[in-house]
Amino acid sequence: MIADQLNLQLNPGEFVCLVGPNGVGKSTLLRTLTGLQPKLAGEIQLSGRKLESYRPRDLANQVSVVLTSPISVGAMRVDELAAMGRFPFTGLFDRMTEHDWEVVHETLRVVGVDKLSHRYVHTLSDGERQKVMIARALAQEPRLLVLDEPTAYLDLPGRVVVMNLLHNLAHGHDKAVLTSTHDLELALRHADRIWLMDDEGRISQGAPEDLVLNGSFAQAFNRAGVLFDPLSGTFDTQNSGSKSVFLEGQGSELVWTQRALHRAGFTVDEEWIPGSPRVCVRPQEGATTWQLEYAGQTSAFASIYDLLQSL
Amino acid sequence: MNQTPNSPMSTQTKRLWLFGLFLLLILGLFLLNLALGSVSIPLKDIWGSLIGREGVKESWVYIVQNSRLPRVLTAALAGIALSASGLQMQTMFRNPLADPFILGINSGASLGVAIAILGSGFVGGLFLPALTLRGEFSLVLAASVGAGLVLALILLVGRWVQNPTTLLILGLMFGHATGAIVSILVYFSAPERIQAYSIWSFGSFSGVNWTQLNVMAIVVLVGVGLMALLPKGLNALLLGEDYARTMGLNVGLLRFVVLLSASVLSGAVTAFCGPIGFIGVAVPHIARNLFKTSNHKILIPAIILIGAAVSMAASLIAQLPGSQLVLPINVVTSLFGAPFVVWVVLKRKRGATSFSV
Repeated sequence: MIADQLNLQLNPGEFVCLVGPNGVGKSTLLRTLTGLQPKLAGEIQLSGRKLESYRPRDLANQVSVVLTSPISVGAMRVDELAAMGRFPFTGLFDRMTEHDWEVVHETLRVVGVDKLSHRYVHTLSDGERQKVMIARALAQEPRLLVLDEPTAYLDLPGRVVVMNLLHNLAHGHDKAVLTSTHDLELALRHADRIWLMDDEGRISQGAPEDLVLNGSFAQAFNRAGVLFDPLSGTFDTQNSGSKSVFLEGQGSELVWTQRALHRAGFTVDEEWIPGSPRVCVRPQEGATTWQLEYAGQTSAFASIYDLLQSL
Repeated sequence: MNQTPNSPMSTQTKRLWLFGLFLLLILGLFLLNLALGSVSIPLKDIWGSLIGREGVKESWVYIVQNSRLPRVLTAALAGIALSASGLQMQTMFRNPLADPFILGINSGASLGVAIAILGSGFVGGLFLPALTLRGEFSLVLAASVGAGLVLALILLVGRWVQNPTTLLILGLMFGHATGAIVSILVYFSAPERIQAYSIWSFGSFSGVNWTQLNVMAIVVLVGVGLMALLPKGLNALLLGEDYARTMGLNVGLLRFVVLLSASVLSGAVTAFCGPIGFIGVAVPHIARNLFKTSNHKILIPAIILIGAAVSMAASLIAQLPGSQLVLPINVVTSLFGAPFVVWVVLKRKRGATSFSV
């Protein structure tokens, strides 16, 4: 294993996000935890039993996975794909009982894709397909659900939906859910606990907020030019401007104007320094105007873009 | 079948109709194969010829019993075997272009036959009788030995190769290497030996006698029987070996059985009929398109029926009914099959996606 000195624990009803920079071994850790590749050292226990003492079928009753690579199953219906989750329960010829189908339809409903159950998988969007893969994993009725970057191919709303779904599965259905992700901001918002892996293979764990406050987050992701902002929980590029500007206004207009000024390389000052530009956001009915006072001149702009052009 | 309690009946009904249709088609092709050829036998006399009833022309009885019946049965068995092998290879390698010979089974058989026919010039006529008669036992033996050696090699290598794609590349390289050896043999051989080899490589359903047919039937039955145990495993492999493993399947065993079944099937066909192309790669696609599924619970029975029908149709066309000529099977399968598959692909609007494995 790449990481050393791990002493980690996963509990039912808990949603854990494994985060860390690219290439620190998140996937390797997940593959080891799910028995897909042999461990190099240490001990993994599942429900009090050693992982390697499980037969494949018994392990499948405890752990199910959603892997990162997109699948291509050809012409297969959503319910057929989800029904594959029943493999550990069916015999050699995969005869599905009434109960098996009930479980499949229930999981499709829980995940929110029951309306799609007769669609072909290849006609779904990436987000819908990922949900179906989660439904398949759930149909295995596992105690532990492990996902490797389930949000990798999704758009932002899709990511929020999936993370929210995973959170609900942990809390509403008493599963232990472990997922690796690159969506730090979503992980901070949804995870009960974070496993934070750094370049040296150490893992710090704790509630997301604890890791932010004790600086682990900033440390793990520190790169030249990128800064973690503990106030907003987001990452920012480090173009701290040499030019300063004073900004007044309120509401979302103020926030977004501030972001724009940051991007343009300005430092927004707490109070006005005579001689520096002064921007005033004036929200009005229908049309907001941005007023700029600089070097004795006052001009008004109809958009942030125009404002930045003249600065 | 894998039927959900509340799925639309139309799909299920349509599939049942398709199965019935193909059964009828197979029956029709069977009768036509017996009736048509260089000599036409009236359909009403087919049954009489089959059981050798009094009053039916003796020549007809002889033709039907000793030539056409074994030929049509060989065709059906070969079609089933190639389709079954091709389906398993396409699923295992998740490659729509995979065919029964992708692992080099036919290369091994070809090399065996090439050594038997062409090499005999060098080693003092060890297999000389092979030159005189097609379907001679020595050819079958040579092809079987060649195919068998490759099969053993595949199973051996398959045990410690982690990635199936590695296996694919090894098979491909093996094919190139044996092809080179065959080329050397051809290059230094007398024209009549080269012709004998080419004729073998064109493929033929004729010349398989009853004893050989029995052996072939048993081997094909074993291969198809093994595959019939695998619908669940093959479905799991559609998601990839990792998913299959996390669903509790013994992937090592699964891979071994798939390789064994596919290799035995394609090896049997190559040994008795020569390397017959096209059927193995096309039939699984036809089945997926007609039955609109990648589910092996439906595909396995489907490719058995379609494989038999396609192969029997090819056998019928190859006889060029009414003429004294006989076309090589490979010519027929490719010449008539390729346009058909092009048509099937193009007539579907979403062809590209549903045609993947």
